[in-house]
Amino acid sequence: MKDILRYFDKTAFFVLVAIPTFGILVIYSASNQMATSYWSKQLLWLLLALIVFFVVFRIKTDVILRFSIPIYIALAVLLAIQLAAGELVAGTKSWIKTGFFNIQVSEFIKIPAALFMAKTLAKIPEIQWKEFIQLSAIIGVPFFLIALQPDLGTAFMLVSFFIAALMLKKIKWLVLVVFFIGIAASFYIGWTYLLKPYQQDRLVSFIDPSKYQKSIGYQVVQSKIAVGSGGLTGKGYLGGTQSQYQFLPTRHTDFIASVLGEELGFLGISFLFLLFFILLYRQFNFKSQSDEEFYFAYMFNSIILFQFMVNIMMVIGFVPILGVPLPLFSYGGSSLLAFFTGEAIIFKMKINSFVYEY
Amino acid sequence: MYIEKRKLSRTEISRIETSANIILAVIFIALLFAYWSIQVLRNRYYTDLASQNIIKSVEIKAPRGLILDIHHKRMAENKLNFTLFLNREYCENVQRIINHDCSVLGLKKEDILKKIEKYKNYPSSFMIPIEKCLPLEKVIYIESRSDEFPEFKIEIEPARAYPYGEVGSHILGYISELTLDELNEMKSQDYALGDQGGKSGIEKQYEERLRGTKGVRRAARDNLGRIREIISEEGSIIGETLVLTIDIELQKFVEEIFKEHFGAIGIVDLKTGGLLAMASRPNFNPEFFSGVLDADNWNALVKNPDKPLHNKFLQGIYSPGSTFKVVVALAALQEKEVDATSISLCTGNLKIYDKTFHCWNSAGHGPLDVVDAIKNSCNVYFYRIGKKMDIDVISKYAQMLGLGNYTHIDLPNEKRGLVPTKEWKSHVKKEKWFPGETISVSIGGGSLHITPIQSLQMVSTIALRGRKPKLHFLKSYIDSKGVEHPFTTEFEEVSIEKIHFETVIEGMYKVVNESGTGLAAKVPGLDICGKTGTQQIISKENPNYSKLVKQKKYKPHAWFISFAPRHDPKIAMVVFVEHGGDAGEIAAPLASVIYKRIFMNKQ
Repeated sequence: MKDILRYFDKTAFFVLVAIPTFGILVIYSASNQMATSYWSKQLLWLLLALIVFFVVFRIKTDVILRFSIPIYIALAVLLAIQLAAGELVAGTKSWIKTGFFNIQVSEFIKIPAALFMAKTLAKIPEIQWKEFIQLSAIIGVPFFLIALQPDLGTAFMLVSFFIAALMLKKIKWLVLVVFFIGIAASFYIGWTYLLKPYQQDRLVSFIDPSKYQKSIGYQVVQSKIAVGSGGLTGKGYLGGTQSQYQFLPTRHTDFIASVLGEELGFLGISFLFLLFFILLYRQFNFKSQSDEEFYFAYMFNSIILFQFMVNIMMVIGFVPILGVPLPLFSYGGSSLLAFFTGEAIIFKMKINSFVYEY
Repeated sequence: MYIEKRKLSRTEISRIETSANIILAVIFIALLFAYWSIQVLRNRYYTDLASQNIIKSVEIKAPRGLILDIHHKRMAENKLNFTLFLNREYCENVQRIINHDCSVLGLKKEDILKKIEKYKNYPSSFMIPIEKCLPLEKVIYIESRSDEFPEFKIEIEPARAYPYGEVGSHILGYISELTLDELNEMKSQDYALGDQGGKSGIEKQYEERLRGTKGVRRAARDNLGRIREIISEEGSIIGETLVLTIDIELQKFVEEIFKEHFGAIGIVDLKTGGLLAMASRPNFNPEFFSGVLDADNWNALVKNPDKPLHNKFLQGIYSPGSTFKVVVALAALQEKEVDATSISLCTGNLKIYDKTFHCWNSAGHGPLDVVDAIKNSCNVYFYRIGKKMDIDVISKYAQMLGLGNYTHIDLPNEKRGLVPTKEWKSHVKKEKWFPGETISVSIGGGSLHITPIQSLQMVSTIALRGRKPKLHFLKSYIDSKGVEHPFTTEFEEVSIEKIHFETVIEGMYKVVNESGTGLAAKVPGLDICGKTGTQQIISKENPNYSKLVKQKKYKPHAWFISFAPRHDPKIAMVVFVEHGGDAGEIAAPLASVIYKRIFMNKQ
């Protein structure tokens, strides 16, 4: 026990808890004018996430690795069932109703998917055709199941596994070429056959937001105004006109960073960046016991990094609106729970090299 | 026991970690730079946009200036009124509004659609006025559910009110929402769609003085248009107060005794040239336009065959009939075609240019001078003058006295009428002037056409022995500082010798006071001078005359022009009754009643 406390990454854990705590403060301001008190709900989610964190932390890494593939399959089946008969919630089928809370399965499947990826990467020396197809299948199944919900943003985040894999492993250059051609082709097919008109609008409006000022581009325009008008020190907590006068859309979820940028300014944004930097730096650099652990830490943290990047850039109009929340920070229970579960596994892995038994 | 289960070498791991750290650093520095450039470098730009988002300027309509009568009684004022506006910025779905809100609020779908169409070129933040004079219960209903109807906004606006209703409607005119065409004409000025403006009468004539200056309210509004904070407010300035020469109590009296008839009455104060009363029948209620004006009501008013919006006093064109004889007499005297003592014989008719012209009295008037010719309104006497005189000379005097010309009274849309000349005939009709036409004109017929106001100016000029007054309605205006600016009275000298006026006035005196045609106008103790005119619609030679004339539309127009007292005259008056019948029986008695009201204050 003494060893656990000694080798437990207290800095990373402090940051991991600090990000959602800071998030709750900003959610309070964002939902100040709303009927639902999202901040208190999120506080409950955080407490639940901490409990889940320590429960998962107690599980041996071997067990987790052993059960990762069955859990992956189970969640994929659950997604498929959801898709077939899921309850319709606001046009998407991504929610499962379980008593008090709504759970998003799509948020959780990234944990076993990352484990599955890590296990596969640990076995292969280089990405050849066979390995390429193998890895594509691991990501492809949940990707399409989630994309068809349709929740394009969450599905798109899984692509980060692939990007990370390409950086971690040597790859045959021909495979890489085919990979990019495949991406281009699937973009074309997806655009023509899969995307709903509103999703197409979102992507088009990214190119010229002012043209869509009153519709979809409106969100980006208002978000940029919020961030830009925040200045160096911001307009003060609860003092943002864009947020408090309700010009910002979905400001407690996808556009939470605009509220932060407006009310706490560049300094607030920098502080958020610092927290994420510390967390990711700590999780990318540790003495791992096995290749699986090493790859899993990279897989899972790359999705955090990727989602963080996409959201932060979306808010200032650098990428299209994909409907991606800011990880650990935006309102959303499933997402928070899933990230804490994944991080718990990594925190456990970080002490495996030092602590043998407990 | 810990066993290292790995294929990755230490160097490989540290290579990956190093590149990961570099990538991490690059990403965070790039993102920081992006936020720095937006938040710090372009802060000014976005701050402006943010304040543009919330700060909305709304104009505050100015109350129109008051219109007072000569004794400062209010003829036009303002009352508070709730107007319902539609703000398209908060309309996600127009169809929903039309289907849901219209039924809930009891509004007409077509009206709203029409309004939206009308304002489609205006920015969506422009508030479309939907309904004026919203009933209080609807105001309470909407205001208490403002979240349910974010697209509707209720503003308190001043609305025009006319305390005397229909009385004086043709003087005051009316105001209503300006049309697109009218707005384009006024482009340079500070008008916006939805503004009201004067459409006729004093309201139109003095629009610039009455409209006042709009104010501006700058307020911070949220995304639903709700006001969160008022930043600054610049109040509107009420328009200037107009004081008219009208005596509203006299006006009321005149319209009351005139309500059975169609026609026009004008009464002028000869000391100033200001009109004391002016009635045109039928009339209308100007408040009708200040409220909700739907197309049906408007069409009913415009298509009304009696034309209640038509001001007969300024715009009605009629033959002056025998009232014109005083003009011909003045012309003949000044041109020395006759003198005060020349005698002429009336046998009931006269054959000129192989055509027989009849006197109204077929028995004939016997021998008479010019005074008696006016007193009895003898046609034959004036036929002889018509034979002697050139039409252009008669026209010159008619125009000199104000006929066939704009009086330039301060009301819009005055008609000119026609005093014929040879040039007019050849120019417009492309025909030569026939001497026989002069005979008709000499008794006020033929192509001669005038308006009642010209007739009033003519009789005023005679009363004042050649000083032609400028007729007007405005006594003074009071500017925003409270300073009163009086209207300057103007008179123009007419080049006819005073002695000739005295001769004609002698005749006009006898018309009323020595059993002339206007005997019915006589008021004991008051020297009224007047002249009747009965303008036939169908010829007396028509075989069915006696039968047809019983129908209203074939009844002659009745004129009575007059002034009083004979010496140092104070009042001049014209009474014109459309299809009224015999002037002596219908127009003269009306004048008499009015004189009694003015001079003896009898009702």
